[in-house]
Amino acid sequence: MASSLFFVPSFVRAFEKVASSKLGYKRLVIVQLSGGNDGLNTVVPFRNDLYYKERPTLGLAPKDIVKLTDEVGLHPSLTPLKRLYDSGYLSIINNVGYPNPNRSHFRSMDIWQTASNSNEYLQSGWVGRFLDEYATHPHWAIEIDESLSLAMKGNRLNAIATQDSKALYNLSNDPFFDRVHNSAHLSEHNLGYLYKSMIAAESSAKYIYETSKTVSSKKEYPQNSFAKQLKTTAQFINSYLDTRVYYTSLSGFDTHVNQLNTQKRLLGIYANSIEAFVEDLKANNTFKDTLILTFSEFGRRVKQNASVGTDHGTANNVFVIAENLNKPGLYNDIAGLDDLDNNGDLKFEIDFRAIYATVLGKWLQVNDEKVLNRSFKSLNFI
Amino acid sequence: MEIPHIQHLYRRAGFGMLPEMLKKLSAKSRKDVVEDLLEHSKNTTPLEVDISELKAVYDSAVSGDVPTKEARQEFQKISRQKQIDLNVAWIHRLIAPKELLREKMTLFWANHFVCEDNNIVYIQNFNNTLRKHALGNFGTFVKAVSKEAAMIKYLNTKQNRKQRPNENFARELMELFTLGVGNYSEKDVKECARAFTGYSHDFPGRFVFRKRQHDDGEKSFLGQTGHFSGDDVIDIILKQKQCAKFVCEKVYAYFVNDVIDENHIDELAEVFYKDYNIENLMRHIFMSDWFYNKSNIGTKIKSPIEFLVGITILVPIEFNSPKQLLYLQKLLGQMLLRPPNVAGWKGGKNWIDSNTIVLRLRLPSLLLNGGYISKTPIGEQDPFIEKKKEAFKKAFKKVNVKSNWAYFRSHFKMVEIHELEQYVLACKLNPVAKEYLRGLKKVSKQEYCIQLMSLPEYQMC
Repeated sequence: MASSLFFVPSFVRAFEKVASSKLGYKRLVIVQLSGGNDGLNTVVPFRNDLYYKERPTLGLAPKDIVKLTDEVGLHPSLTPLKRLYDSGYLSIINNVGYPNPNRSHFRSMDIWQTASNSNEYLQSGWVGRFLDEYATHPHWAIEIDESLSLAMKGNRLNAIATQDSKALYNLSNDPFFDRVHNSAHLSEHNLGYLYKSMIAAESSAKYIYETSKTVSSKKEYPQNSFAKQLKTTAQFINSYLDTRVYYTSLSGFDTHVNQLNTQKRLLGIYANSIEAFVEDLKANNTFKDTLILTFSEFGRRVKQNASVGTDHGTANNVFVIAENLNKPGLYNDIAGLDDLDNNGDLKFEIDFRAIYATVLGKWLQVNDEKVLNRSFKSLNFI
Repeated sequence: MEIPHIQHLYRRAGFGMLPEMLKKLSAKSRKDVVEDLLEHSKNTTPLEVDISELKAVYDSAVSGDVPTKEARQEFQKISRQKQIDLNVAWIHRLIAPKELLREKMTLFWANHFVCEDNNIVYIQNFNNTLRKHALGNFGTFVKAVSKEAAMIKYLNTKQNRKQRPNENFARELMELFTLGVGNYSEKDVKECARAFTGYSHDFPGRFVFRKRQHDDGEKSFLGQTGHFSGDDVIDIILKQKQCAKFVCEKVYAYFVNDVIDENHIDELAEVFYKDYNIENLMRHIFMSDWFYNKSNIGTKIKSPIEFLVGITILVPIEFNSPKQLLYLQKLLGQMLLRPPNVAGWKGGKNWIDSNTIVLRLRLPSLLLNGGYISKTPIGEQDPFIEKKKEAFKKAFKKVNVKSNWAYFRSHFKMVEIHELEQYVLACKLNPVAKEYLRGLKKVSKQEYCIQLMSLPEYQMC
């Protein structure tokens, strides 16, 4: 077997070495809340009369709210987040959106994932473009799912999707595949590309599996599929895979009806899983190099609808969780609810791409303009 | 006509071909083979799923043409399920088409006139419009597409009104469907948008022209001036040679080679510009000597659909649930009726990433052999082969299908095992693989077929 691999270019062989060096590079974990989480019932202005006026049966009672300040508190299911908040690990960025917001799930999600303008249709994701510009290997970004989101697809490189590194390894590694390739083929136009991809994929899968299996978590996570994604992410991070970006998601937030029960359940899943995740990373001394970014593709309307739910809206909050935040707590003021757009929706104050730019520039330490194709003024939450 | 050439033709114009058919056709001339292909696609068989439930829903809608909220919600629910049905029906149509070339062209046009909609009635109509015009006149085709409810919705033509024009359709019409970026000005886009104001549709999906919302004024478009309507604008676009060139480039990239040969494009554009007849264009391509150049044979990476359908040509597969078929499409990166965005699927190398290459190499053995690829060297026995297969089946049990190996055996009865390669692979085996396979015991034609299908070479067509 060694002889047949002799002529394979060295860059491909290089990353089969297990990365045992504990480089101080930063990791980004993205949590996508799919469906459009209702930000106003997540971070609640419980002293604002307008909140209760517009949400007579949907508004959360002050006694139930987990208070952060005299004016603002969290949804009761987010108690674990309050603990992070108290430790200075949470920065809540309010009124995040973009100009000419789109209220369609598909469009808005594409906009957030490709970091495009509202009227632009990009075919590559922002993390994919990060890979294109900077990654030496596709596994620099891993999505804990069975297939990739657009966010993770670049023009040239795509990230790797896996929920189970052992399964991916078994699928991709078969002695048959090793025996059939031939270095002379690697230069042929399309067929050569297939062989190169096959070798790189096998190598990545082997690297991810063999590196991550050296770590087993003693941390107990809640029993749900989102927690499992985070558990897998923690295993990858704690084994010092040289992956820079991880993508996870929790869906079900499209609460046109039955919002109270749905949000109670989902935000509980979110908060409890995140808490376990942070504790797992802390126990392994990797929290200091990890930043967790949570977003949703849009917020929802201020006024509740006739089904004690809410319809698609606009601006929303974004959570940044990390050990050494520059500005923990409420990054900016929550909206007053008296200055809404023509539709009665929240106006945005911070462009989501400024958040991406901050994370790319200050955290991952790359040129954010190259990835986002334009310049956004960085924020100072880190 | 030489067998390798017939194979090449049928891999590009279709999804492959079985030995007896190949033998039969080899007795004919290239001209006859190509004319046969075209002749068999003269008719159009629409693709339809049962939407009678939906007819009931909108018949029950109370106030005239506008359905009630309840009716709309019920409609959406049924529509979602029917989309799945249509996707599956389309795959089955590709596997057993009446009009082979027409179906391949429909697949091609679906990635050119990209459109998506949740309403099954609109999307089914759209799909059949693609099928109807697939080999017809391109101008008529574009005009028909511009009036489809699904397209009007998808590119916001409905919101394009006299006082507030919406440029989306106008832009995509020129950028993606006819001329290509850089061949028109922003002013042209604005004027084009004006020409399409008033385009709308009713709830059942019929085209409606709202005269009051139409901007009837004089427009200046691509150097011409007049009170142009949408159809007029399309006529003007087709007068540009660039339109013929642009479309020929797309057809060439899909049917011939993703590396464009400018000379061939110029040749095709000349032919196409004469009458914009798609059938004539395809005839010209399939009759050209250059189409059969070595550089074009076996050099295209199969799309996920070409890959899936191609497998079934050799070994028919029955999926136990439609959800599985959709799941595979999702993992491979191409789900029919669900294009990624208005530019469609990029194709070629873009189908391939770390996940999809692994799945493509594994899928034939997963679908047909419980995940097992035989590796017993010559001279050795493998008493455990059945046990190994069981272990693989357990590990990969998610893909649970029924494969018809009897069909394969009967169609390949007269084919010697060492000849199998020519029928399964579109390009030559690389020498290392050839050597390796030669050293393996030929357990059976079936196992050998699996080995061949598990090679990167099998991904080429």
